Amino acid sequence: MMNNKNLYKIIALLLIFQTGISWAQDEEKIRPRIKADYFKVMDEGSYLELSTSARIERKNREVPHLELEVFQVIDDDDNSLGKVTTSAEGKARFQLGNIIKYSPDSSSFYNFLVRFKGNDKFKRASREVSVMDAIISAKHVVIDSIDHIEGTIKDVAKDSLIEDVALEVGVRRLFKPLKMGEEFNMTDLNGTVVVPIEKGIPGIDGNLFIEVAVVDHDDYGNVMQTIEAPIGVPIVKDASYDERSLWGPRNRTPIFILVFTYGLILGILGIVVYLINNLIKIRNS
Amino acid sequence: MKTSSQLIQDLVPRKYSIRGKLWVITLVSISVAGIIAYIDQVIQGQKVTNMNDYALWGIYISNFVFFVATSFVGATTVAILRLTKNEWRTPLVRLASIIALASIIMAGITITIDMARPDRILNLFVHARLQSPITWDIIIIPSFIVASFLLLYFPLLPDLAILKNYYRKRSPRLSKFYSRLSWNWNGNERQRAIQGRSVRLIAIAILPLGLILQTIDAWLFSTTYRVGWDSTNFAPYFISGAMVAGLGGLICVIYIVRRYRHLEDYITLKHFDRMGKLLVLALLTYGYFNINEYVVPLFTAKKGEVEHLNMLFKGDYSGLFWFVTIAGLLIPIIVLAFKKGRKPLPMFIIALLVVVGSWWKRYVIVTPTLLHPFIPIQGVPEEWHHYSPSLHEWLITFATLAMALLIITILVRYLPVIPIQRTAEEAGVEIQSVNENQES
Repeated sequence: MMNNKNLYKIIALLLIFQTGISWAQDEEKIRPRIKADYFKVMDEGSYLELSTSARIERKNREVPHLELEVFQVIDDDDNSLGKVTTSAEGKARFQLGNIIKYSPDSSSFYNFLVRFKGNDKFKRASREVSVMDAIISAKHVVIDSIDHIEGTIKDVAKDSLIEDVALEVGVRRLFKPLKMGEEFNMTDLNGTVVVPIEKGIPGIDGNLFIEVAVVDHDDYGNVMQTIEAPIGVPIVKDASYDERSLWGPRNRTPIFILVFTYGLILGILGIVVYLINNLIKIRNS
Repeated sequence: MKTSSQLIQDLVPRKYSIRGKLWVITLVSISVAGIIAYIDQVIQGQKVTNMNDYALWGIYISNFVFFVATSFVGATTVAILRLTKNEWRTPLVRLASIIALASIIMAGITITIDMARPDRILNLFVHARLQSPITWDIIIIPSFIVASFLLLYFPLLPDLAILKNYYRKRSPRLSKFYSRLSWNWNGNERQRAIQGRSVRLIAIAILPLGLILQTIDAWLFSTTYRVGWDSTNFAPYFISGAMVAGLGGLICVIYIVRRYRHLEDYITLKHFDRMGKLLVLALLTYGYFNINEYVVPLFTAKKGEVEHLNMLFKGDYSGLFWFVTIAGLLIPIIVLAFKKGRKPLPMFIIALLVVVGSWWKRYVIVTPTLLHPFIPIQGVPEEWHHYSPSLHEWLITFATLAMALLIITILVRYLPVIPIQRTAEEAGVEIQSVNENQES
């Protein structure tokens, strides 16, 4: 029969063993990385572009289907704004709407916190985003008969134009904008850049959608303004598919091929019919 | 000078000897093996072949191009010699017509074999785009089969009537067979006039048809932008190559038939000498086009073409390339340039070399280009860069070659290989009296 001393030893061993399992489980958990970028599209609103990834088996991989909660941080208080779940590619977008409805801190920064509370596989993680509000205005101007886009960036809190900020100017295209001007168009004392637009860029009905944006700025994040300007070359619809051509469908065969081929077929058939007729004549002679 | 009965005795078809029967059994066996392989290919699909996303045309297309080329001999030999009224043509034209018909029939069958789904063949007609050279091929091949048949059949009519009379007492069943085929031919003036007109017309028509056939065959390749095929030189290059292949095949068959049927009095050394000269002319022309095809790009080739040429000159296909160039082109020119080289046996050996060289030449034209795709695919398996035919492909290909020889063998068995009527007329023998003699 087992005495009490041995029983305690067994219980102690079991406890140590169980604790070990628990530690092992903790060690297996992975800490995810949260990336959060602030975007503001003028006249549309602001949003946070979120993504989650982790170092798994020595490779950086996207982590899908994580529930992230977004907070506004005001004086150490976290006010929940809502939740969003990352997609299969580990990405999510959280709409903030008009940023002026939020309260900035004493330095005019808007502070947001993105938090993942953890689950069986991943540890808890969070990311803070602090941005100041800026607005970009843009207009089409003609200087020396050349079309230009004038873009101006302004700090809302300070109500002042921002000097020495790189503004990107580009024509909207399918995948990414076609960049115009210098590599870095730095704003002048008036917070303005003036960038010439090349001639001959095609656009629907000759209209070009021109984007003026500050990208990945430490204080302002990403802010973008888009204007429509009738300075492009109208796109002419390619009607060659409806024309008769060598590469067209069968009902668009060029006439000369139809004539030649059917002529050849009829010519051969004519000769064959004539020769068979001659055979019949030989038989009857 | 031979009498009419001697002449008929010499030229009427003969039963197979033991060797002939063994030859037929061999051909039938190879054909049956190929048919079994083809049935398996239809059941399992083209996965039984070694064709892949790169080498999507394999040995079948090489074989098809060879058959099309060989069939051109009907157009060249028969039509040209007939229209230029070369009298020495008489013993040769029938065999040329037979080879042309056998080859073009097998070309049609071979291209069907290359189709993964032969049950969809009707779609080629129903959904045909007339802009595509493949559609033109579909039109020209059946047309050329009909034309080749008529080119063989019309000049045969008088001979079939002679055979009808010849077998009247010897074999009534054969006589009945020839009677049906002879289409009531009795050799009256009206029949001869109609036949003469018809033969002239078909001889004229088959020449452009042959040129169109070869040109379309070449355009199937040259309209694809592919390295090694993208050439304006391709149609005349194919036509000259077809003359070489066709004449080589014709000389081989003529030699064997002459020897087997003891036709030395009819197919003489003079015929071999002239055929040899004709073959040299064809080889020189072909050599000229080869220089255009391979030497000029050495100066102008872009990267892809340089890779292709290197593959041919010193790469994987250099052995085959130099074999077809030296053995199939240069050696025949040198040997046939000498009178001794134009004797029957040396010519047969050389013609055999030419035919083998011509067959592999088509393989060299088709395969290396496919291994250099116009738009290369990234990360393809290594085996896609190489192609060698599978057992199924070899069995089926050998079967098509055996079937072509079988058609020739059967036609040689039942038809006079040298026109009897024409030969009799040239020999000054009254053919009518020959018939009467036979009947009496």
